[in-house]
Amino acid sequence: MGKSDGRTPVLAAKDVIQHDHNHDGIDRRGFLKCMAWAGAGAYCVMQGGVMKSFALGGLGSKDKRDLAGELNFVQISDSHMGFSKPANPDVVVTLQAAIDKVNALPTTPEFLLHTGDISHLSKANEFDMVDQLLKSAKVKDAFFVPGEHDVLNDDGKQYRDRYGKGTQGGGWYSFDKNGVHFIGLVNVMHLKAGGLGSLGNEQMEWMENDVKHLSKSIPIIVFAHIPLWSVYPEWGWGTEDSARALGYLKKFGSVTVLNGHIHQTMQKVEGNVTFHTAMSTAFPQPKPGAAPSPGPMKVPDNELRSVLGITNVNLVQGKHALAVTDETLA
Amino acid sequence: MEMNRKLKLCFVVSGVLVALQFAAYAQSAPVAAGQDAKANTVDVKIDNFSFTPATITIRAGTTVKWTNRDDIPHTVVNDDQKFGSKALDTDESYSYTFTKPGTYPYFCSIHPKMTGKVVVQ
Repeated sequence: MGKSDGRTPVLAAKDVIQHDHNHDGIDRRGFLKCMAWAGAGAYCVMQGGVMKSFALGGLGSKDKRDLAGELNFVQISDSHMGFSKPANPDVVVTLQAAIDKVNALPTTPEFLLHTGDISHLSKANEFDMVDQLLKSAKVKDAFFVPGEHDVLNDDGKQYRDRYGKGTQGGGWYSFDKNGVHFIGLVNVMHLKAGGLGSLGNEQMEWMENDVKHLSKSIPIIVFAHIPLWSVYPEWGWGTEDSARALGYLKKFGSVTVLNGHIHQTMQKVEGNVTFHTAMSTAFPQPKPGAAPSPGPMKVPDNELRSVLGITNVNLVQGKHALAVTDETLA
Repeated sequence: MEMNRKLKLCFVVSGVLVALQFAAYAQSAPVAAGQDAKANTVDVKIDNFSFTPATITIRAGTTVKWTNRDDIPHTVVNDDQKFGSKALDTDESYSYTFTKPGTYPYFCSIHPKMTGKVVVQ
């Protein structure tokens, strides 16, 4: 197993999870444990309905077949290209390190999802730099949704010119990969005073239509910048009208929501929906309420990389419904 | 000689009258925190995801200058879209002169939980 540096979890044989409470091949406790590790750089694989997880550091020695799922992709978030303050004076180096990590995965992810705040100030040279760095990622494709830092001053026009091909409205869209339906949502535009993230009527009507005729057995993955659940409203960490969006997904057996914005990993399972937020590749932010405001958090220099990261997602379609369904732990 | 003295006296008296006018003005105007009676500008600091002071009361004709001291960009946007800044990075400023009495709530369009208010009398 990979060596421990005190941060990357070292996994032993007992961590390959085999408990199946619900007789559907899913170990919910194990899934949550795995999702917690995902933030520190773990690789979760569903195989035949059983969750297996591996620390990213120790994957070199694993058999490739052991690690391959039927669909695997990677999420990065909040690269904030252009940021240069004590919390991280060099966001280029850390984004490159994240891409190197992606490239070092034993099975190259098919594509990359960027959940927004690509740039720090919506400047052309910031977007250019990220595009340049991403060229070195071995993935075949990249999909984006904007963060609030990507739509400054021009109502998102530059963002859409660069990343909005095939999208509608503020930049929302959907696509299918290996039988999984992906929905990219925009919740960072037309925000109202005192409010939270917002999806808006037009986007919600589009989404209702988009999923209306899909079979309930199709796994759904939704990605958007600001969390689609109420992480911490006092800091704007939530989306006002997300309940409406999630309502359209009630019929589906497996829904996964991937967000960014809060620069730390957090996860929650509610009904048929699993929510997960990613770390930033630029700088961490404090835990909810742990600081006067949600701004960039300075950590000792030698700890910075341990609070930044990527998220790897693997899904296998088997006889059972995909990955996550709701269950109480007791 | 006589004319010059009269002229000088004229100027001195005018000077005194103008000075008295200024003094009277300075005493009668409600001065908000940070207001310089001569420059007619009020400063609002943006820091730690807040506007400080959050509410200010000024006279019509006063300019408000917002300066971002936070380590993250912010904007200043009126709820009714009567004024609005572009994104302000650290140490950048935005000024707006309020000519009409009224209440002007505003917020940061990037972090909408940040709100403030300008009351113009």
